[in-house]
Amino acid sequence: MDRLYFVGGLSWWVIGLVALGALAAIGYQFLGLRRRLGVRRAIPLTALRAVVYSLLVFFLLSPGLVQTRVTKLRRPLNLLIDTSKSMSLPGPGGKSRLDAVKEKLTAGDDPLIRRLERDYDLRVYQFSTALAPVAPSAIPQLEATGKGTRLAELLSEAGRDAGANAAIMVVSDGIANGEGRIGGAAPQIPVLAVGAGDSKGYVDLRLADVTAPEFGFRGREFKIDLVVQAYGLAGKSVPIYFNRGKSLVATKNIDIDRDAFEQRVTLSYTPKEIGAQSFSVNTPVLPGEAIADNNHKEFKVDVRRDKLRVLTLSGSPAWNYRFLRMALKQDPFIDLVSFVFLRTPTDVVDVPDNQLSLIPFPIDEIFLEEIKNFDVVFLDDFSYRSYFNVMYLDRVRDFVRDGGGLAMLGGARSFDSGGYADSALRDVLPVELDGKGRYQMDTRARGVLTPSGKAHPITRLVPDAQANEDAWKKFPPLKSLNQILRARGETLLQAAPEGASGGQPLLTVGRYGKGRTLALMSDDIWRWSFGAVGAKESPQNHLKLVRHAVRWLAQEPMFEQVQIQPVSGVRAPGEKSEFIIRVLNDDYTPAAHANLKVEVLGNEGEQIRLEAVEQSAGEYRTEFTPAKEGAYRIEAQADLGGKTIGRDNKNFTVAFPYAEAEDGRPRPELLKDIAEKSKGDFIPLAELDAASLARATAKLDRLAPAEIVERREIPLWGTLTTFSVILVFLSLEWWFRRKWGLI
Amino acid sequence: MDRRAFLRLLSYGCLAAGLAPRKLFAAQALERQRPIQFVFAQLKYRGGDWNPHELAVGPLLEELMQRTSVEAATTRREVTLTDPELFSYPFLYVSGKYDFEPFTGEEIDTLRRFLSYGGFLLADDALGQPGYGFDQSLRREMKRIFPDRDFTRIPASHPAMRSFYLLRKIGGARMVRPYVEGINVGPSTPVVYCQNDLGGAWEKDQLGNWVNQCTPGGEEQRRDAFHLGINLILYAMTENYKDDLIHVPFIRRRLAR
Repeated sequence: MDRLYFVGGLSWWVIGLVALGALAAIGYQFLGLRRRLGVRRAIPLTALRAVVYSLLVFFLLSPGLVQTRVTKLRRPLNLLIDTSKSMSLPGPGGKSRLDAVKEKLTAGDDPLIRRLERDYDLRVYQFSTALAPVAPSAIPQLEATGKGTRLAELLSEAGRDAGANAAIMVVSDGIANGEGRIGGAAPQIPVLAVGAGDSKGYVDLRLADVTAPEFGFRGREFKIDLVVQAYGLAGKSVPIYFNRGKSLVATKNIDIDRDAFEQRVTLSYTPKEIGAQSFSVNTPVLPGEAIADNNHKEFKVDVRRDKLRVLTLSGSPAWNYRFLRMALKQDPFIDLVSFVFLRTPTDVVDVPDNQLSLIPFPIDEIFLEEIKNFDVVFLDDFSYRSYFNVMYLDRVRDFVRDGGGLAMLGGARSFDSGGYADSALRDVLPVELDGKGRYQMDTRARGVLTPSGKAHPITRLVPDAQANEDAWKKFPPLKSLNQILRARGETLLQAAPEGASGGQPLLTVGRYGKGRTLALMSDDIWRWSFGAVGAKESPQNHLKLVRHAVRWLAQEPMFEQVQIQPVSGVRAPGEKSEFIIRVLNDDYTPAAHANLKVEVLGNEGEQIRLEAVEQSAGEYRTEFTPAKEGAYRIEAQADLGGKTIGRDNKNFTVAFPYAEAEDGRPRPELLKDIAEKSKGDFIPLAELDAASLARATAKLDRLAPAEIVERREIPLWGTLTTFSVILVFLSLEWWFRRKWGLI
Repeated sequence: MDRRAFLRLLSYGCLAAGLAPRKLFAAQALERQRPIQFVFAQLKYRGGDWNPHELAVGPLLEELMQRTSVEAATTRREVTLTDPELFSYPFLYVSGKYDFEPFTGEEIDTLRRFLSYGGFLLADDALGQPGYGFDQSLRREMKRIFPDRDFTRIPASHPAMRSFYLLRKIGGARMVRPYVEGINVGPSTPVVYCQNDLGGAWEKDQLGNWVNQCTPGGEEQRRDAFHLGINLILYAMTENYKDDLIHVPFIRRRLAR
């Protein structure tokens, strides 16, 4: 195609002036010629001159000729076929969604895939969690086995390298479960979205978004939230069952009142037992449901005590009790039951008993029944001798052996002075008694950290090691001490006389059976609170010491010597899950060469033994490859030198990361949205044929034609032809002038 | 040696020392051999009369040890608010009859810390004239220490009234008020104030005779004064112990009789 154009080398006003000048010259010439030759001869001569002037003005506009030639190209088209698992779900005709897609593309004499190959520069990919090129001829062999659908991410990836004027055709059910956000930035190139599957015929009941606490508290109700989704089940009523193990604990009926139904449900349970417990929620599988697995959800809840229960027995009112009580009472996670013996058997009162507030000490109730319900027992300057038979201390020994915590605080009624060398607690306490240890008064000794004390969580009052040592140096000296024969456990503090760097054990910790023990050989610890206040220091460190001691004795997880640390990553069936297990000695230094027993417990009670490999001192690695989805629990116990030094457990869930089999409802609306935002087109699979493809192609052509345009510019001015034409007209005029005698 | 034997020995010691309770050398020697859990510290202040009943504390402590399991020092300790040993004695007794000089700013700060972090103050008005003398000065100083708190009447259900005896009446040498007042800080009451001259009721001369008559209630009123003193010492050492749930039904049953 040729087209005239003007370069416009001169300004329009210059050309206008020239044109006006030419007009004036022509008029003047006509008047002169008419006077000399008459009108009949003046007109042709003037016309010839006017032609010359017009040509001059025309060429002043710098005219040129553009020649254009258009060549049509084959548009690049990336055809993306969804082969995720959801494409295996049945479509309206009973075939799977992928089978319907394969049939649509490959059936017939002139299949659509051939037409696409002819009309486009076609590249075919299958996709689920990644793009994989396939030959068009291999489409019939595609299988829907992909674990997820990273639709948003893969559309971007396919568009990045598609080239100019390219387009994408994506054939999918619209289920997208990758990490990318659908509906964010529009794809840069047009997307022809073909919707496989129809949400109208989809039938499914699903329990989704189950939110359960990781741990609960005994005797305190916990709630779980979930969403019940139903499609194609309007008018049905379904029960939701909430089970603990195999026992039903709650149920709720849901009335489904519309086809696309969603309702948030809250269920609750009050656990009565401590420990990790398996729970599940489920609904019956209804006829015609596309997915049965999503009617069931499992989870584990670690049930703990809501508070640490602490029992203190104090031999008499004393400042040590007063400040111990203050520290325990200020801790919202400690439930304190205390008995203070306000009167000894030799004290005489001057009023009847009913005018006294004293209550009888419930010996049998405490030692025979209730002691097992406590986490920690304090014997605070208390001797059993005046109050009950030594045999009751056997129960205290059993309590510690079975996992309880026992602390003995000093005083005139403690350790050897309390007769404990002749009791069942002799072997339980972390110090050795020989019946000769005295209660010393008028001493002046500071608590000095031992190397173990510097690392142990009880005496680690501030995280920084140096600051912690400084904090201990600020504690006021103690004025009373209990002598013991020697420490049996780890000594954390020594009682150092003024100027000395060490001395007799002051604070010692140990183990007995499954329990823990602590011995504090002074009843003057209250000075670390009130004396610190007098020195204008904070009493907080005394509070911390008491709280740390209680938590360590109660074996709170934060003070466990064995700690399982899951290595982050996907926990999916068939994928390797790694765990790091850190093991600490009794002095909280890394424990090398520990004997680790590691087990994984599945939801159906199966036990799988794992091997742990020491990768550095105190750090062990183990791995587990789950076979199926579900709630699991890993337990580790570390033994060293023939004794157990700690145990830990962690719950974890194994699930496919994309939850492909969770929700199979086709989402054509998502595909429509993608097509609209990219200025492409949406075609339901049932309507995909040659005609709809032609319409889509036309739309793409209107949007961005796939062609090459060649242009050639030919200037019409400044050529010999231009000069010759003007010369011909001027010569003709000269000939007439000569003929008519003007020259 | 049990406390009975100790008290007997102490009495003999007093007699041997010429009945001079202020010079209890024998007692002090014996005290070094037994554990002491409680020291009665009395506050010395400037102006007024900080020591109206010099011999009041001994009988109270004797009573305390006879009735309860508390092992107490038999002599009081006199301290000032600038004494470096002040925080070794969480129980502090202040008494007087007359106006006394205001505490210094540092003394106010010290006493505020003392009372806010576990210390206890028993104030005893030996004059018994509300609005005058000691009463006026004490209330002034307490207002400086706790500007946003006032003395309030301590009810019979307060743990201080139940810490050992189930107190139904308030004793003292005279009956100015049938109740005691206190200042509450959080869940505890670190200041208790009695205007009935408790020290006057406790005081015995060197021959063991009561120094002051208790009016109008006589010896029963004196006994109530001792009971209150013992209760307040035990309250200071056990705080709200008697508010613990385990005690409540027992106490309720006894009070119902």
